[in-house]
Amino acid sequence: MSAPNSNQRKACWGARDELWKCLDDNQDNAASCEKFQKEFEASCPAQWVKYFTKRRDFLKYKEKMQTEGFEPADRPKESQS
Amino acid sequence: MGYYKITCMLYESMTTCKELCHCSLKRLHLNQGQDNYRAKSYGVIRLNDHQGQQPPEPLPVHPAIIQKARFAGGSMLCLKRRMLGLVGFIGGDLHAMSGRLLRCTLRSSAVQQTSGSTHHPQRVWLSSQAPLCGHHTPKHRTGLYGPFTHPKQTLGSSRGPLFTQRVALSQGPNTSTAKIRLRTRLVVTLLFGGGLLGTWWYVRNEKQQNHRLQRIEQLKKVALGQGDFSLLDHRGHRRTKRDFLGSWVILYFGFTHCPDICPDELDKISAVVSALDKDQSLPVVQPLFVTVDPERDNVAALERYVKDFHPRLIGLTGTPEEVKVAGKDYRVYASPGPKDEDGDYIVDHTILIYLVNPDGLFLDYYNRMKDDVQIAESIRNHMKSYVKLPE
Repeated sequence: MSAPNSNQRKACWGARDELWKCLDDNQDNAASCEKFQKEFEASCPAQWVKYFTKRRDFLKYKEKMQTEGFEPADRPKESQS
Repeated sequence: MGYYKITCMLYESMTTCKELCHCSLKRLHLNQGQDNYRAKSYGVIRLNDHQGQQPPEPLPVHPAIIQKARFAGGSMLCLKRRMLGLVGFIGGDLHAMSGRLLRCTLRSSAVQQTSGSTHHPQRVWLSSQAPLCGHHTPKHRTGLYGPFTHPKQTLGSSRGPLFTQRVALSQGPNTSTAKIRLRTRLVVTLLFGGGLLGTWWYVRNEKQQNHRLQRIEQLKKVALGQGDFSLLDHRGHRRTKRDFLGSWVILYFGFTHCPDICPDELDKISAVVSALDKDQSLPVVQPLFVTVDPERDNVAALERYVKDFHPRLIGLTGTPEEVKVAGKDYRVYASPGPKDEDGDYIVDHTILIYLVNPDGLFLDYYNRMKDDVQIAESIRNHMKSYVKLPE
């Protein structure tokens, strides 16, 4: 199958953006965004769906790291002086 | 003990100075030693003899201070001196005048001690043609703030080279000289300041240029793109690296099935090329798109793909070996992902835009963080500092 052309790409991106907006509004509750999910999967090649889903996960994770901070890996406890 | 009170109209303050009076009155063609001082040309007004009492008109400085200054002796700081000194300092060589006006304070008290005659208080209106008493030039510019001259010093005694110099300079009797000197001073300052600024700017430019050349040297050491490539363009013509020598090249590796990154980067490249096209003085830039997915991206696929971007964009493909050679040349990492049921896959690859100069040398690279304006600016700089290699 041939690669999506410019219009198809834009349609896919639009659907993705709609889906992501819905998820943002509903605190990532996938159930309430079924419609957008279907739309998204219809507009985009399967590989792209997988890719964008993973991308969203990554962006959420990155945001979490940046806002909430993170625990560094356990280190040997230093003695209190 | 009487004292001379001189109100200098110019500064609107007062000082007590018999010596100044002496000197200035001399200038005013007055005789020393006379009780009645009359200026022939400056309209000195003679006041009533206050016999050491406070003058009737309000003082700009608190009377207590003046009292203190009068009786304290030779080493007392005159507050008025500071005021005048400040005015004079700002005024440039008005300062000299103020110095002259002021330094008297101390001397006056010494002279007062020695002389027993009464002196009539005078008000001398110093016009803008203020008399410059050569004897009273201060020792140094900031000398006003410290204990001044020893009361026992006589007039005209040498106080060092600065004094002599100032004496020499200050012999001009009129304000036009003062104005000229002020103007000269301003001009000199401006020139000096301008010179400093120019030097700084020039040095800064040199530094930036050095920085750029250094970076180019470093990238040359990395020596990307040394080899040759031979690929098919999106119209099916064979193109080699040699074909592109003589023009600047923007190179990007990607694939047509790329979800978002490649289209974004190619849009960016298109914007950069358009921006550089606008500048007539710059050479034309050739954008190239080389696929990292030769199995799917054949000539037809490329043709479909590149027409969505800048019209000059050339897509390049070939056999997997040819593509691999080209990629290796630029140390491009490319790794096809797992195929799904459609046979579709995503190729993980280096996302970089490469700049190659007309000699075929790799000069610079730009990652996702650089926007089209920054890239255009950088390329412009490279073009400007490009020195053609000797044949």
